[in-house]
Amino acid sequence: MTAEIVFNEPITEWGWKVGVYVALIGIAGGAYLAGYAADVVSYRRGSAGHGAIAKWAYLVGLGGLVIGPPILLSHLATPLRAMLIPLTMTNLGSWMTIGAYMLGGLGIGSTLMFLWLAFGTERPHARAAGRESAVADGGRDVASDGGPARAATGDRTVGGFRGVADRVGLLGAVDSVADVTRPSEKTRLLLGALFGVFAAGVLLYSAMAYGEGSAQRVALWEKTFLVPVQIFSGLGVGLVTALALAAVFDRTPGAVLRTYATAAVGLLGATALALAATVVLLPGQRPAATAGVENLLGTHALAFVGVSVVLGLLVPVALLVAAVLGERRGSLSETAVVSSYVTAAALATVGKVTLAITYLMAAEFAPMPLPV
Amino acid sequence: MSTQESSGPARVVPNWESCIDCGACEVACQRTWNLPPESDRIKVVAMAHGTEDETNKPMQCYNCSEAPCVEVCPTEALFFRDDGTVRVSGDMCIGCHYCGVGCPFGAPQYPDAEVPEAAESEPVGARGNGLMDKCTTCEPRQEHDLEPACASECPTDALLYGTPDELSEKLAEDGVSTPFNDEAARIVFGDDADAVMGEGP
Repeated sequence: MTAEIVFNEPITEWGWKVGVYVALIGIAGGAYLAGYAADVVSYRRGSAGHGAIAKWAYLVGLGGLVIGPPILLSHLATPLRAMLIPLTMTNLGSWMTIGAYMLGGLGIGSTLMFLWLAFGTERPHARAAGRESAVADGGRDVASDGGPARAATGDRTVGGFRGVADRVGLLGAVDSVADVTRPSEKTRLLLGALFGVFAAGVLLYSAMAYGEGSAQRVALWEKTFLVPVQIFSGLGVGLVTALALAAVFDRTPGAVLRTYATAAVGLLGATALALAATVVLLPGQRPAATAGVENLLGTHALAFVGVSVVLGLLVPVALLVAAVLGERRGSLSETAVVSSYVTAAALATVGKVTLAITYLMAAEFAPMPLPV
Repeated sequence: MSTQESSGPARVVPNWESCIDCGACEVACQRTWNLPPESDRIKVVAMAHGTEDETNKPMQCYNCSEAPCVEVCPTEALFFRDDGTVRVSGDMCIGCHYCGVGCPFGAPQYPDAEVPEAAESEPVGARGNGLMDKCTTCEPRQEHDLEPACASECPTDALLYGTPDELSEKLAEDGVSTPFNDEAARIVFGDDADAVMGEGP
Protein backbone atom coordinates (compact mmCIF):
# COMPACT_ATOMS: atom_id res chain seq x y z
CA MET A 1 0.00 0.00 0.00
CA THR A 2 2.87 2.35 0.65
CA ALA A 3 4.22 4.37 -2.25
CA GLU A 4 7.98 4.21 -2.55
CA ILE A 5 8.43 7.69 -3.89
CA VAL A 6 7.38 10.73 -1.95
CA PHE A 7 8.00 13.28 -4.68
CA ASN A 8 7.81 12.84 -8.35
CA GLU A 9 10.72 14.41 -10.17
CA PRO A 10 10.06 17.58 -12.17
CA ILE A 11 10.18 15.67 -15.46
CA THR A 12 7.21 13.59 -14.33
CA GLU A 13 5.22 16.76 -13.73
CA TRP A 14 6.11 18.56 -16.94
CA GLY A 15 7.57 16.16 -19.48
CA TRP A 16 9.67 16.96 -22.52
CA LYS A 17 7.08 19.30 -24.01
CA VAL A 18 7.73 21.97 -21.42
CA GLY A 19 11.44 21.75 -22.21
CA VAL A 20 10.86 22.23 -25.92
CA TYR A 21 8.53 25.13 -25.20
CA VAL A 22 11.03 26.83 -22.92
CA ALA A 23 13.78 26.42 -25.51
CA LEU A 24 11.75 27.72 -28.43
CA ILE A 25 10.38 30.79 -26.69
CA GLY A 26 13.92 31.56 -25.53
CA ILE A 27 15.11 31.41 -29.12
CA ALA A 28 12.16 33.58 -30.18
CA GLY A 29 12.92 36.24 -27.59
CA GLY A 30 16.62 36.21 -28.36
CA ALA A 31 16.06 36.34 -32.10
CA TYR A 32 13.77 39.34 -31.80
CA LEU A 33 16.25 41.28 -29.69
CA ALA A 34 19.11 40.43 -32.04
CA GLY A 35 16.94 41.42 -34.97
CA TYR A 36 15.97 44.69 -33.41
CA ALA A 37 19.61 45.57 -32.80
CA ALA A 38 20.32 44.85 -36.48
CA ASP A 39 17.28 46.89 -37.44
CA VAL A 40 18.57 49.93 -35.56
CA VAL A 41 22.04 49.54 -37.04
CA SER A 42 20.54 49.24 -40.49
CA TYR A 43 18.54 52.43 -39.98
CA ARG A 44 21.53 54.38 -38.77
CA ARG A 45 23.92 53.16 -41.43
CA GLY A 46 21.44 52.73 -44.26
CA SER A 47 22.67 49.18 -44.68
CA ALA A 48 20.46 46.60 -46.37
CA GLY A 49 22.69 43.82 -45.07
CA HIS A 50 21.88 44.60 -41.46
CA GLY A 51 18.25 44.96 -42.46
CA ALA A 52 18.26 41.47 -43.90
CA ILE A 53 19.48 40.09 -40.57
CA ALA A 54 16.72 42.01 -38.82
CA LYS A 55 14.06 40.60 -41.14
CA TRP A 56 15.19 37.02 -40.77
CA ALA A 57 15.56 37.42 -37.01
CA TYR A 58 11.99 38.67 -36.72
CA LEU A 59 10.91 35.66 -38.73
CA VAL A 60 12.84 33.33 -36.43
CA GLY A 61 11.12 34.96 -33.48
CA LEU A 62 7.78 34.46 -35.12
CA GLY A 63 8.61 30.86 -35.91
CA GLY A 64 9.55 30.11 -32.32
CA LEU A 65 6.24 31.52 -31.17
CA VAL A 66 4.26 29.62 -33.78
CA ILE A 67 5.80 26.30 -32.74
CA GLY A 68 6.57 26.63 -29.02
CA PRO A 69 3.30 27.69 -27.33
CA PRO A 70 1.17 25.10 -29.17
CA ILE A 71 3.52 22.43 -27.84
CA LEU A 72 2.90 23.74 -24.34
CA LEU A 73 -0.84 23.80 -24.94
CA SER A 74 -0.71 20.15 -25.92
CA HIS A 75 0.76 19.46 -22.48
CA LEU A 76 -2.13 21.08 -20.65
CA ALA A 77 -5.25 19.27 -19.54
CA THR A 78 -7.52 21.99 -20.93
CA PRO A 79 -5.70 23.75 -23.78
CA LEU A 80 -8.78 25.56 -25.06
CA ARG A 81 -9.45 26.99 -21.63
CA ALA A 82 -5.82 28.06 -21.35
CA MET A 83 -6.03 29.91 -24.65
CA LEU A 84 -8.58 32.31 -23.17
CA ILE A 85 -5.65 34.16 -21.69
CA PRO A 86 -7.34 37.46 -20.75
CA LEU A 87 -10.04 35.50 -18.95
CA THR A 88 -7.98 32.74 -17.39
CA MET A 89 -4.49 34.13 -16.82
CA THR A 90 -5.42 36.47 -14.00
CA ASN A 91 -2.74 35.87 -11.36
CA LEU A 92 -0.19 38.50 -12.31
CA GLY A 93 2.06 37.27 -9.52
CA SER A 94 2.66 34.02 -11.41
CA TRP A 95 5.46 33.94 -13.94
CA MET A 96 3.37 31.71 -16.16
CA THR A 97 0.80 34.51 -16.39
CA ILE A 98 3.47 37.13 -16.92
CA GLY A 99 5.00 34.93 -19.58
CA ALA A 100 1.69 34.44 -21.37
CA TYR A 101 1.21 38.17 -21.76
CA MET A 102 4.85 38.67 -22.71
CA LEU A 103 4.46 36.03 -25.40
CA GLY A 104 1.34 37.74 -26.67
CA GLY A 105 3.14 41.07 -26.90
CA LEU A 106 6.13 39.49 -28.59
CA GLY A 107 3.87 37.69 -31.02
CA ILE A 108 2.25 40.93 -32.08
CA GLY A 109 5.63 42.66 -32.26
CA SER A 110 7.33 39.96 -34.29
CA THR A 111 4.45 39.83 -36.72
CA LEU A 112 4.31 43.58 -37.27
CA MET A 113 8.05 44.11 -37.48
CA PHE A 114 8.41 41.26 -39.93
CA LEU A 115 5.45 42.45 -41.95
CA TRP A 116 6.82 45.97 -42.19
CA LEU A 117 10.29 44.80 -43.23
CA ALA A 118 9.34 42.03 -45.59
CA PHE A 119 6.28 43.33 -47.38
CA GLY A 120 5.12 46.47 -49.09
CA THR A 121 6.48 48.63 -51.84
CA GLU A 122 8.21 50.98 -49.43
CA ARG A 123 9.65 48.44 -47.05
CA PRO A 124 12.76 49.60 -45.20
CA HIS A 125 16.21 48.18 -45.83
CA ALA A 126 15.16 46.91 -49.27
CA ARG A 127 17.95 46.42 -51.71
CA ALA A 128 18.25 48.91 -54.52
CA ALA A 129 16.26 48.09 -57.64
CA GLY A 130 18.19 46.53 -60.43
CA ARG A 131 21.02 45.36 -58.25
CA GLU A 132 22.50 42.13 -59.54
CA SER A 133 22.18 40.13 -56.41
CA ALA A 134 19.83 37.92 -54.54
CA VAL A 135 17.01 39.65 -52.82
CA ALA A 136 16.97 39.89 -49.12
CA ASP A 137 13.64 38.21 -48.83
CA GLY A 138 14.81 34.85 -49.91
CA GLY A 139 14.54 34.61 -53.66
CA ARG A 140 16.81 35.03 -56.64
CA ASP A 141 14.81 37.98 -57.74
CA VAL A 142 17.45 40.00 -59.56
CA ALA A 143 14.98 42.81 -60.00
CA SER A 144 15.32 43.59 -56.28
CA ASP A 145 12.94 43.36 -53.41
CA GLY A 146 12.03 47.00 -53.68
CA GLY A 147 8.58 46.46 -55.05
CA PRO A 148 5.84 43.94 -55.40
CA ALA A 149 7.33 40.70 -56.55
CA ARG A 150 5.04 40.30 -59.49
CA ALA A 151 5.59 43.84 -60.69
CA ALA A 152 9.32 43.62 -60.26
CA THR A 153 9.78 40.34 -61.95
CA GLY A 154 7.13 40.20 -64.57
CA ASP A 155 6.04 36.62 -64.89
CA ARG A 156 8.92 35.25 -62.91
CA THR A 157 8.21 33.59 -59.63
CA VAL A 158 10.12 34.92 -56.70
CA GLY A 159 11.32 32.74 -53.85
CA GLY A 160 11.16 32.98 -50.08
CA PHE A 161 8.21 34.14 -48.08
CA ARG A 162 7.26 36.76 -50.66
CA GLY A 163 7.19 34.03 -53.23
CA VAL A 164 4.97 31.93 -50.99
CA ALA A 165 2.61 34.85 -50.51
CA ASP A 166 2.66 35.43 -54.24
CA ARG A 167 1.85 31.83 -55.07
CA VAL A 168 -1.17 31.81 -52.78
CA GLY A 169 -2.34 35.06 -54.28
CA LEU A 170 -1.92 37.15 -51.18
CA LEU A 171 1.21 39.10 -51.96
CA GLY A 172 -0.59 42.15 -53.24
CA ALA A 173 -2.92 42.24 -50.28
CA VAL A 174 -0.16 41.72 -47.75
CA ASP A 175 1.96 44.37 -49.41
CA SER A 176 -0.95 46.77 -49.20
CA VAL A 177 -1.54 46.00 -45.54
CA ALA A 178 2.13 46.54 -44.81
CA ASP A 179 2.24 49.84 -46.61
CA VAL A 180 -0.95 51.11 -45.04
CA THR A 181 -0.02 50.15 -41.49
CA ARG A 182 3.69 50.92 -41.56
CA PRO A 183 4.50 54.01 -39.50
CA SER A 184 7.46 56.27 -40.05
CA GLU A 185 10.85 54.71 -39.50
CA LYS A 186 11.40 56.43 -36.18
CA THR A 187 7.97 55.43 -34.95
CA ARG A 188 8.49 51.89 -36.21
CA LEU A 189 11.74 51.62 -34.31
CA LEU A 190 10.15 53.08 -31.19
CA LEU A 191 7.41 50.47 -31.42
CA GLY A 192 10.11 47.89 -32.00
CA ALA A 193 11.77 48.94 -28.77
CA LEU A 194 8.45 48.52 -26.96
CA PHE A 195 8.06 45.05 -28.39
CA GLY A 196 11.67 44.47 -27.37
CA VAL A 197 10.59 44.83 -23.77
CA PHE A 198 8.24 41.90 -24.34
CA ALA A 199 11.07 39.97 -26.00
CA ALA A 200 13.34 40.60 -23.04
CA GLY A 201 10.49 39.51 -20.77
CA VAL A 202 10.07 36.30 -22.71
CA LEU A 203 13.79 35.66 -22.51
CA LEU A 204 13.69 36.13 -18.75
CA TYR A 205 10.52 34.08 -18.49
CA SER A 206 12.24 31.23 -20.31
CA ALA A 207 14.40 30.98 -17.21
CA MET A 208 11.87 31.92 -14.55
CA ALA A 209 9.37 29.38 -15.86
CA TYR A 210 11.58 26.72 -14.32
CA GLY A 211 11.30 26.34 -10.60
CA GLU A 212 9.32 29.47 -9.92
CA GLY A 213 7.61 29.83 -6.58
CA SER A 214 8.42 30.68 -3.01
CA ALA A 215 9.35 27.12 -2.17
CA GLN A 216 12.05 27.00 -4.88
CA ARG A 217 12.02 23.25 -4.80
CA VAL A 218 14.48 22.56 -7.60
CA ALA A 219 17.98 23.65 -6.67
CA LEU A 220 19.39 22.87 -10.13
CA TRP A 221 17.22 25.67 -11.48
CA GLU A 222 18.81 28.28 -9.23
CA LYS A 223 18.04 31.52 -10.99
CA THR A 224 21.44 33.09 -10.41
CA PHE A 225 22.88 30.51 -12.79
CA LEU A 226 19.93 29.67 -14.98
CA VAL A 227 19.02 33.21 -16.05
CA PRO A 228 22.41 33.90 -17.70
CA VAL A 229 22.29 30.50 -19.41
CA GLN A 230 18.87 31.21 -20.87
CA ILE A 231 19.63 34.79 -21.89
CA PHE A 232 22.94 34.04 -23.58
CA SER A 233 21.68 30.88 -25.27
CA GLY A 234 18.45 32.50 -26.43
CA LEU A 235 20.28 35.45 -27.94
CA GLY A 236 23.04 33.29 -29.41
CA VAL A 237 20.84 30.66 -31.01
CA GLY A 238 18.34 33.23 -32.21
CA LEU A 239 21.09 35.27 -33.83
CA VAL A 240 22.93 32.38 -35.45
CA THR A 241 19.66 31.04 -36.86
CA ALA A 242 18.83 34.40 -38.42
CA LEU A 243 22.38 34.61 -39.71
CA ALA A 244 22.11 31.21 -41.37
CA LEU A 245 18.79 32.05 -43.00
CA ALA A 246 20.15 35.33 -44.31
CA ALA A 247 23.22 33.55 -45.66
CA VAL A 248 21.19 30.83 -47.36
CA PHE A 249 18.55 32.94 -48.97
CA ASP A 250 20.57 36.06 -49.68
CA ARG A 251 23.67 34.12 -50.65
CA THR A 252 25.77 37.09 -49.80
CA PRO A 253 28.09 36.20 -46.95
CA GLY A 254 30.37 39.09 -46.36
CA ALA A 255 31.49 41.60 -43.81
CA VAL A 256 28.04 42.20 -42.36
CA LEU A 257 27.33 38.54 -41.77
CA ARG A 258 30.82 38.07 -40.40
CA THR A 259 30.04 40.71 -37.81
CA TYR A 260 26.97 38.84 -36.68
CA ALA A 261 28.79 35.53 -36.78
CA THR A 262 31.39 37.00 -34.46
CA ALA A 263 28.65 38.23 -32.15
CA ALA A 264 27.08 34.78 -32.16
CA VAL A 265 30.44 33.28 -31.23
CA GLY A 266 30.53 35.58 -28.22
CA LEU A 267 27.00 34.71 -27.12
CA LEU A 268 27.39 30.96 -27.56
CA GLY A 269 30.75 31.13 -25.81
CA ALA A 270 29.13 33.04 -22.95
CA THR A 271 26.51 30.30 -22.73
CA ALA A 272 29.22 27.69 -22.42
CA LEU A 273 30.89 29.69 -19.67
CA ALA A 274 27.59 30.10 -17.83
CA LEU A 275 27.06 26.34 -18.00
CA ALA A 276 30.58 25.72 -16.78
CA ALA A 277 29.97 28.08 -13.87
CA THR A 278 26.77 26.18 -13.09
CA VAL A 279 28.36 22.77 -12.81
CA VAL A 280 31.42 24.07 -10.97
CA LEU A 281 29.99 26.65 -8.59
CA LEU A 282 26.33 25.79 -8.06
CA PRO A 283 26.84 22.71 -5.81
CA GLY A 284 29.00 24.81 -3.52
CA GLN A 285 26.43 27.55 -3.24
CA ARG A 286 23.40 25.27 -3.02
CA PRO A 287 24.30 21.79 -1.78
CA ALA A 288 20.81 20.60 -2.69
CA ALA A 289 21.79 21.09 -6.33
CA THR A 290 24.59 18.55 -6.13
CA ALA A 291 22.37 15.66 -7.19
CA GLY A 292 21.08 17.56 -10.20
CA VAL A 293 24.55 18.57 -11.34
CA GLU A 294 25.73 15.00 -10.90
CA ASN A 295 22.82 13.88 -13.05
CA LEU A 296 23.87 16.35 -15.75
CA LEU A 297 27.42 15.05 -15.72
CA GLY A 298 26.54 11.41 -15.14
CA THR A 299 23.23 9.91 -16.12
CA HIS A 300 22.55 12.59 -18.73
CA ALA A 301 26.13 13.29 -19.76
CA LEU A 302 25.51 12.27 -23.35
CA ALA A 303 22.67 14.75 -23.74
CA PHE A 304 24.18 17.52 -21.64
CA VAL A 305 27.88 17.34 -22.41
CA GLY A 306 27.70 15.61 -25.76
CA VAL A 307 24.73 17.25 -27.45
CA SER A 308 24.10 20.48 -25.55
CA VAL A 309 27.65 21.63 -24.86
CA VAL A 310 29.88 20.01 -27.48
CA LEU A 311 27.56 19.69 -30.46
CA GLY A 312 25.31 22.57 -29.51
CA LEU A 313 27.86 25.16 -28.42
CA LEU A 314 31.49 24.29 -29.01
CA VAL A 315 31.13 22.89 -32.53
CA PRO A 316 28.98 25.84 -33.69
CA VAL A 317 31.52 28.24 -32.22
CA ALA A 318 34.32 26.44 -34.07
CA LEU A 319 32.33 26.45 -37.32
CA LEU A 320 31.54 30.15 -37.05
CA VAL A 321 35.13 31.05 -36.24
CA ALA A 322 36.39 28.95 -39.13
CA ALA A 323 33.86 30.52 -41.49
CA VAL A 324 34.71 34.05 -40.45
CA LEU A 325 38.46 33.53 -40.67
CA GLY A 326 38.27 31.45 -43.81
CA GLU A 327 36.13 33.95 -45.66
CA ARG A 328 38.23 36.87 -44.53
CA ARG A 329 41.38 35.17 -45.78
CA GLY A 330 39.69 34.05 -48.95
CA SER A 331 40.43 30.41 -48.25
CA LEU A 332 36.79 29.30 -48.08
CA SER A 333 34.29 29.30 -50.88
CA GLU A 334 31.00 31.10 -50.48
CA THR A 335 29.24 27.77 -50.37
CA ALA A 336 31.51 26.54 -47.60
CA VAL A 337 30.89 29.66 -45.56
CA VAL A 338 27.13 29.42 -45.96
CA SER A 339 27.25 25.72 -45.12
CA SER A 340 29.18 26.49 -41.98
CA TYR A 341 26.62 29.05 -40.88
CA VAL A 342 23.74 26.68 -41.56
CA THR A 343 25.37 23.75 -39.78
CA ALA A 344 26.23 25.93 -36.81
CA ALA A 345 22.63 27.17 -36.58
CA ALA A 346 21.16 23.69 -36.84
CA LEU A 347 23.47 22.28 -34.18
CA ALA A 348 22.94 25.26 -31.87
CA THR A 349 19.18 24.90 -32.15
CA VAL A 350 19.31 21.18 -31.43
CA GLY A 351 21.66 21.90 -28.54
CA LYS A 352 19.37 24.55 -27.10
CA VAL A 353 16.33 22.28 -27.16
CA THR A 354 18.35 19.39 -25.75
CA LEU A 355 19.70 21.61 -22.99
CA ALA A 356 16.22 22.63 -21.88
CA ILE A 357 15.01 19.04 -21.85
CA THR A 358 18.12 17.86 -20.05
CA TYR A 359 17.65 20.51 -17.38
CA LEU A 360 14.23 18.97 -16.80
CA MET A 361 15.39 15.36 -16.83
CA ALA A 362 18.32 15.95 -14.51
CA ALA A 363 16.44 18.06 -11.99
CA GLU A 364 15.47 16.69 -8.62
CA PHE A 365 13.25 18.21 -6.02
CA ALA A 366 14.96 19.45 -2.89
CA PRO A 367 14.41 17.21 0.14
CA MET A 368 11.00 17.55 1.70
CA PRO A 369 11.07 20.06 4.55
CA LEU A 370 10.10 17.45 7.09
CA PRO A 371 12.24 15.96 9.85
CA VAL A 372 12.82 12.57 8.30
CA MET B 1 -14.60 19.83 18.03
CA SER B 2 -15.05 23.55 17.76
CA THR B 3 -13.01 25.29 15.13
CA GLN B 4 -14.63 28.70 15.31
CA GLU B 5 -12.93 30.34 18.24
CA SER B 6 -9.29 29.58 17.46
CA SER B 7 -6.92 31.43 15.15
CA GLY B 8 -6.27 30.21 11.65
CA PRO B 9 -7.97 27.50 9.62
CA ALA B 10 -8.42 23.96 10.87
CA ARG B 11 -5.99 21.53 9.21
CA VAL B 12 -5.11 17.88 9.19
CA VAL B 13 -1.44 17.25 10.07
CA PRO B 14 0.28 13.95 10.74
CA ASN B 15 1.20 12.77 14.21
CA TRP B 16 4.76 11.87 13.41
CA GLU B 17 5.06 8.81 15.61
CA SER B 18 1.76 7.04 15.30
CA CYS B 19 1.24 6.04 11.67
CA ILE B 20 1.28 2.28 11.17
CA ASP B 21 0.84 2.37 7.39
CA CYS B 22 -2.57 0.72 7.48
CA GLY B 23 -4.01 2.87 4.69
CA ALA B 24 -7.30 3.46 6.52
CA CYS B 25 -7.05 7.18 5.75
CA GLU B 26 -6.81 6.53 2.01
CA VAL B 27 -9.80 4.22 2.09
CA ALA B 28 -11.83 6.58 4.25
CA CYS B 29 -11.20 9.49 1.88
CA GLN B 30 -12.07 7.60 -1.28
CA ARG B 31 -15.11 5.91 0.22
CA THR B 32 -16.51 9.07 1.81
CA TRP B 33 -16.35 11.09 -1.39
CA ASN B 34 -16.77 8.28 -3.88
CA LEU B 35 -13.42 9.10 -5.43
CA PRO B 36 -11.83 7.03 -8.20
CA PRO B 37 -8.93 4.76 -7.28
CA GLU B 38 -6.56 7.15 -9.05
CA SER B 39 -7.32 9.80 -6.48
CA ASP B 40 -4.57 10.45 -3.93
CA ARG B 41 -5.97 13.24 -1.80
CA ILE B 42 -4.22 11.53 1.07
CA LYS B 43 -1.58 8.84 0.71
CA VAL B 44 0.76 6.97 3.00
CA VAL B 45 4.20 7.39 1.50
CA ALA B 46 7.64 6.07 2.25
CA MET B 47 10.09 8.75 3.27
CA ALA B 48 13.85 8.33 3.11
CA HIS B 49 13.14 5.19 1.14
CA GLY B 50 15.95 2.66 1.16
CA THR B 51 17.77 4.20 4.10
CA GLU B 52 17.91 3.33 7.78
CA ASP B 53 15.62 6.29 8.37
CA GLU B 54 12.88 4.97 6.11
CA THR B 55 9.50 5.66 7.56
CA ASN B 56 5.91 5.79 6.35
CA LYS B 57 3.81 8.88 6.81
CA PRO B 58 0.42 10.06 5.61
CA MET B 59 0.72 13.08 3.33
CA GLN B 60 -1.94 15.40 2.03
CA CYS B 61 -2.57 19.08 1.46
CA TYR B 62 -1.89 21.11 4.62
CA ASN B 63 -3.79 24.19 3.43
CA CYS B 64 -0.62 26.24 3.88
CA SER B 65 -0.91 29.82 5.07
CA GLU B 66 1.86 30.77 2.62
CA ALA B 67 0.82 28.29 -0.02
CA PRO B 68 3.31 28.24 -2.93
CA CYS B 69 0.65 26.59 -5.09
CA VAL B 70 -1.61 29.64 -4.81
CA GLU B 71 1.31 31.89 -5.63
CA VAL B 72 2.26 30.13 -8.85
CA CYS B 73 -1.18 29.19 -10.19
CA PRO B 74 -1.58 31.31 -13.34
CA THR B 75 -5.36 31.14 -13.48
CA GLU B 76 -6.14 31.59 -9.78
CA ALA B 77 -7.76 28.18 -9.86
CA LEU B 78 -6.09 27.77 -6.48
CA PHE B 79 -7.25 30.32 -3.98
CA PHE B 80 -7.70 30.97 -0.29
CA ARG B 81 -11.22 30.66 1.00
CA ASP B 82 -12.46 33.07 3.61
CA ASP B 83 -11.65 30.56 6.34
CA GLY B 84 -8.01 30.42 5.18
CA THR B 85 -8.07 26.98 3.60
CA VAL B 86 -6.86 26.41 0.05
CA ARG B 87 -9.33 25.31 -2.56
CA VAL B 88 -8.99 24.47 -6.24
CA SER B 89 -11.64 25.44 -8.76
CA GLY B 90 -12.31 22.77 -11.32
CA ASP B 91 -13.68 25.46 -13.59
CA MET B 92 -10.41 27.37 -13.73
CA CYS B 93 -7.65 24.75 -13.58
CA ILE B 94 -5.84 24.22 -16.88
CA GLY B 95 -3.75 21.27 -15.71
CA CYS B 96 -0.38 22.98 -16.14
CA HIS B 97 1.19 21.24 -13.09
CA TYR B 98 2.77 24.49 -11.89
CA CYS B 99 1.33 23.85 -8.44
CA GLY B 100 2.82 20.36 -8.51
CA VAL B 101 6.28 21.81 -9.00
CA GLY B 102 5.70 24.54 -6.43
CA CYS B 103 4.22 22.53 -3.55
CA PRO B 104 6.92 21.41 -1.09
CA PHE B 105 4.80 18.51 0.11
CA GLY B 106 3.79 16.87 -3.15
CA ALA B 107 0.11 17.37 -2.42
CA PRO B 108 -1.30 18.28 -5.86
CA GLN B 109 -2.56 15.31 -7.81
CA TYR B 110 -3.62 15.08 -11.44
CA PRO B 111 -5.66 11.89 -11.73
CA ASP B 112 -6.31 10.74 -15.25
CA ALA B 113 -9.56 9.15 -14.21
CA GLU B 114 -12.49 9.81 -16.50
CA VAL B 115 -14.67 11.66 -14.05
CA PRO B 116 -16.81 14.73 -14.57
CA GLU B 117 -14.99 17.94 -13.87
CA ALA B 118 -15.97 19.41 -10.55
CA ALA B 119 -17.89 22.63 -10.60
CA GLU B 120 -17.94 25.35 -8.02
CA SER B 121 -21.38 24.18 -7.01
CA GLU B 122 -19.86 20.85 -6.08
CA PRO B 123 -16.52 21.86 -4.63
CA VAL B 124 -15.57 18.57 -3.06
CA GLY B 125 -16.38 16.44 -6.07
CA ALA B 126 -13.80 14.32 -7.77
CA ARG B 127 -11.60 15.80 -10.45
CA GLY B 128 -9.97 13.94 -13.24
CA ASN B 129 -8.97 14.31 -16.82
CA GLY B 130 -5.60 15.71 -15.80
CA LEU B 131 -6.95 18.53 -13.67
CA MET B 132 -5.49 19.24 -10.26
CA ASP B 133 -7.11 17.57 -7.29
CA LYS B 134 -6.42 17.97 -3.60
CA CYS B 135 -7.78 17.51 -0.10
CA THR B 136 -10.83 19.63 0.73
CA THR B 137 -10.59 19.03 4.47
CA CYS B 138 -14.03 17.41 4.18
CA GLU B 139 -15.84 20.72 4.32
CA PRO B 140 -19.37 19.19 4.38
CA ARG B 141 -18.42 17.03 7.36
CA GLN B 142 -17.15 20.08 9.23
CA GLU B 143 -20.54 21.70 8.78
CA HIS B 144 -21.93 18.82 10.80
CA ASP B 145 -19.21 19.22 13.42
CA LEU B 146 -17.41 16.13 12.18
CA GLU B 147 -13.69 15.74 11.66
CA PRO B 148 -12.37 14.97 8.20
CA ALA B 149 -12.89 11.33 7.30
CA CYS B 150 -9.20 10.46 7.34
CA ALA B 151 -8.64 11.81 10.85
CA SER B 152 -11.91 10.34 12.07
CA GLU B 153 -11.11 6.82 10.91
CA CYS B 154 -7.39 6.66 11.66
CA PRO B 155 -7.07 3.86 14.25
CA THR B 156 -3.92 5.26 15.85
CA ASP B 157 -4.73 8.97 15.92
CA ALA B 158 -1.91 9.56 13.48
CA LEU B 159 -3.83 12.40 11.87
CA LEU B 160 -4.41 15.43 14.02
CA TYR B 161 -7.10 17.91 13.13
CA GLY B 162 -7.59 21.40 14.45
CA THR B 163 -6.77 25.06 14.33
CA PRO B 164 -3.22 26.21 15.08
CA ASP B 165 -4.17 26.71 18.72
CA GLU B 166 -5.69 23.28 18.97
CA LEU B 167 -2.80 21.65 17.16
CA SER B 168 -0.39 23.43 19.44
CA GLU B 169 -2.08 21.86 22.45
CA LYS B 170 -2.10 18.41 20.86
CA LEU B 171 1.51 18.61 19.78
CA ALA B 172 2.49 19.58 23.31
CA GLU B 173 1.14 16.32 24.66
CA ASP B 174 3.61 13.65 25.64
CA GLY B 175 4.61 11.28 22.88
CA VAL B 176 3.49 13.49 20.03
CA SER B 177 6.27 14.95 17.93
CA THR B 178 6.05 17.94 15.64
CA PRO B 179 5.74 16.96 12.02
CA PHE B 180 7.37 20.01 10.50
CA ASN B 181 10.77 21.60 10.65
CA ASP B 182 11.10 25.38 10.79
CA GLU B 183 10.92 25.83 7.03
CA ALA B 184 7.85 23.67 6.66
CA ALA B 185 6.16 25.25 9.68
CA ARG B 186 6.63 28.71 8.21
CA ILE B 187 4.98 27.63 4.97
CA VAL B 188 2.13 25.76 6.65
CA PHE B 189 1.32 27.95 9.63
CA GLY B 190 2.67 31.34 8.59
CA ASP B 191 2.55 33.76 11.50
CA ASP B 192 1.26 30.99 13.75
CA ALA B 193 4.38 28.87 13.17
CA ASP B 194 6.20 29.90 16.32
CA ALA B 195 3.10 29.43 18.45
CA VAL B 196 2.46 25.95 17.09
CA MET B 197 6.03 24.73 16.94
CA GLY B 198 7.23 26.47 20.08
CA GLU B 199 4.97 24.44 22.28
CA GLY B 200 5.88 21.12 20.70
CA PRO B 201 8.11 18.67 22.52
